[in-house]
Amino acid sequence: MMSGPDSPAILACGLTKAFGTRKALDRVSFELPEGAFLSIFGPNGAGKTTLLRVLSTLVRPTGGKASLCGIDLTEEPDKARGLVGMISHQSMLYPDLTAEENLLLYAELYGVSDPKARVGELLEAVGLAHRRLDAVRTFSRGMTQRVSIARALVHDPRVVFLDEPYSGLDPHAIEIFDELIESTRADRTFVMVSHDLAKGFAMCTHALVLARGRVVSFAPKDELDFDDFAQLYRETVGMGVA
Amino acid sequence: MKTTKRGDSPNCHFAAKPSTFSQYKTLLAKDLRQEFRTREMLTSMGIYALLVIIVYGAALALTANGLDIMKMGGGLLWVLIVFTSLLGLGRSFAHEKDQGCMEGILLVPLDRSVIFLAKTTANVLFMLAVEVIAVPLFYFFFMTGQPVAPTLPAIVAPLAVGTIGMAGIGTMLSTITMNTRAKDVMLAVLFIPLIYPLLYACVTATTAAIAGTEFWTDYFVMPLVLACGYDVVMLLVCWVLYDFVVSA
Amino acid sequence: MSDKKVKVPEAGQWPDNLVVPAVLAGAVLTTAGFLMAFLMVGPVNGAALSSPELVGDVMVTNQQLLSQKIFYFHMPVAIVSFVALVFAAYYGIRFLMGRQQRFDTCSRVAMEIALLFVVFTMVTGDLWTRFEWGVWWTWEPRLTTYLILMLIVIAYFVLRNAVDDPERRAVFSGVISIIALVDVPICFMITRLIPSSVHPVVAREGGMAPDMVAAVMIIMAGMMLVAFGLYRLRFRQARLDERVQALKDQLEDY
Repeated sequence: MMSGPDSPAILACGLTKAFGTRKALDRVSFELPEGAFLSIFGPNGAGKTTLLRVLSTLVRPTGGKASLCGIDLTEEPDKARGLVGMISHQSMLYPDLTAEENLLLYAELYGVSDPKARVGELLEAVGLAHRRLDAVRTFSRGMTQRVSIARALVHDPRVVFLDEPYSGLDPHAIEIFDELIESTRADRTFVMVSHDLAKGFAMCTHALVLARGRVVSFAPKDELDFDDFAQLYRETVGMGVA
Repeated sequence: MKTTKRGDSPNCHFAAKPSTFSQYKTLLAKDLRQEFRTREMLTSMGIYALLVIIVYGAALALTANGLDIMKMGGGLLWVLIVFTSLLGLGRSFAHEKDQGCMEGILLVPLDRSVIFLAKTTANVLFMLAVEVIAVPLFYFFFMTGQPVAPTLPAIVAPLAVGTIGMAGIGTMLSTITMNTRAKDVMLAVLFIPLIYPLLYACVTATTAAIAGTEFWTDYFVMPLVLACGYDVVMLLVCWVLYDFVVSA
Repeated sequence: MSDKKVKVPEAGQWPDNLVVPAVLAGAVLTTAGFLMAFLMVGPVNGAALSSPELVGDVMVTNQQLLSQKIFYFHMPVAIVSFVALVFAAYYGIRFLMGRQQRFDTCSRVAMEIALLFVVFTMVTGDLWTRFEWGVWWTWEPRLTTYLILMLIVIAYFVLRNAVDDPERRAVFSGVISIIALVDVPICFMITRLIPSSVHPVVAREGGMAPDMVAAVMIIMAGMMLVAFGLYRLRFRQARLDERVQALKDQLEDY
């Protein structure tokens, strides 16, 4: 099944991830159009990270179905993996290799057609071309995070997952990070997990609130008012899981 | 950032999914490059090997003269190798775990067993590199006083077979233990009983080659064949099960 | 706040009803087998000695002939322990295929039974070694294999304790149970096939007399039943534990 123009970027249908009777995700369903920016909110232990891991094919769901751009995650995981990029609070970079070597490694693993050119282009874009021959170990947290944006985009993914991308970044680095993300929006779909309610809400086009693995609310931002939403979120957190 | 216009294909940057072999080469090259840059594993393993030899020196100080080192040599050498590899294997996933790189690699569309094969190859190379230094050192410190059997070079075979098997099962086990508490102890607790058969066979073959008595092949060929059998079976089992372990 | 049906791990299916009869029958059979071994089956080939004598160039005393009786206990226990290991690996595979917690519990409980019987095997084997060869320990193939097996089974439980995430723990233990099952025969083969000048060769080979076979079979059947009973009891307990845990979780939900 090839992705048609009408297939949503993310389609989750009754996604469940359980072990024994513990349910990390409980019948999560939602549909996200292409080019959207989804923010996932929820208290600790609500299953946000699990949802991200299931959607990025790192974890197989116990039940339910999910597809990215029309490609089923459990049936064609390798194909789906090619569509996914991930930026997390961990850099996923080898500190002893240079920025360029790190990106080349991933470019070659993904089978990018001209790795050298693509990596050069990406380093230019994140403003680190002049440091490309330095080991990632010597970079500041903000710079490392910029390289890891480049890393996530090396194969031009259609869906990018952001897992607490701001942790450890100073305000200036956050600003640069936001600009970079904005410049890469194009027709890419983003899914972000963040604890920062205001920030996550400001960036998103859709918001999803999870609690105990269940969807409490899912709506496009146009239909939401920030204050009401914040109220709902506080109530959800108040229900407490962890 | 420049975003290339997408054509019919969802991923314009993809030439094609790279072959499994080229992914294997890429992963292996990454491990080797990283090691050349830091020399972390090789230095620590090398120094550890030297330290074990020094401990042997102290342990055997009073007995060395009367000791039939030719009969003990094989065993002592393997003690050295087992503990040195244990050290190296324990660290082989430290970098993958540190910054979440393992996750980054798992996100790539590639067959999980490629990760196993690449890591095993890297570990074999590191262990062989250390053995190339440690074995002559061992010879130099303990065996120069004795006449050398002409069959001595044959120890290369059990060393190679043993190293491959240990690297294979060690890679598997250290993938498991990188996610556990008390990693290093855990690795030893699992590793040593599981490699016991291989160790036993390799020690027998090595001792036979060092002693080089009249019927040495009786004690050399059979163990070596069995050790190869162990390697084949265990590597296959690990190769099949690796997907479960690495994605857990 | 939830309308879903309360679903908790089940325990106490029909095989649990067989536990009491199985354990009783097992105990009776084992005891009967023992009595048979000591009272009816003669020493090997019906030999009985009142004083040390030379049999086939070997000095044999009555004590050694009696020590041979340990064999009737030793062999069935060893076989049961291996069967338990096979089951542990089988459930390990089932778990890896379906990821149901139930099979992880099965595998773990089978491994516990394996540990129990491996320890029995070690103890009886060691007693025999002491009487037969006059040493407490020797690196004889069977003993070595069982020592290694015991260490692997212990390592299995050490590993379980060292992993926090339940699913990850289950996957790792499943994998180790399979590797252990593959490793043990190799270990036995390698320690046995490699010629060795150090070890005494085990001479007591050759066929068993029919009455010996009968005794061994009866004891083995008894042991199997006991092992089955223990397995079900332990499994039931583990499942009830899980059930309580699940109910607690659900209570938190409301």
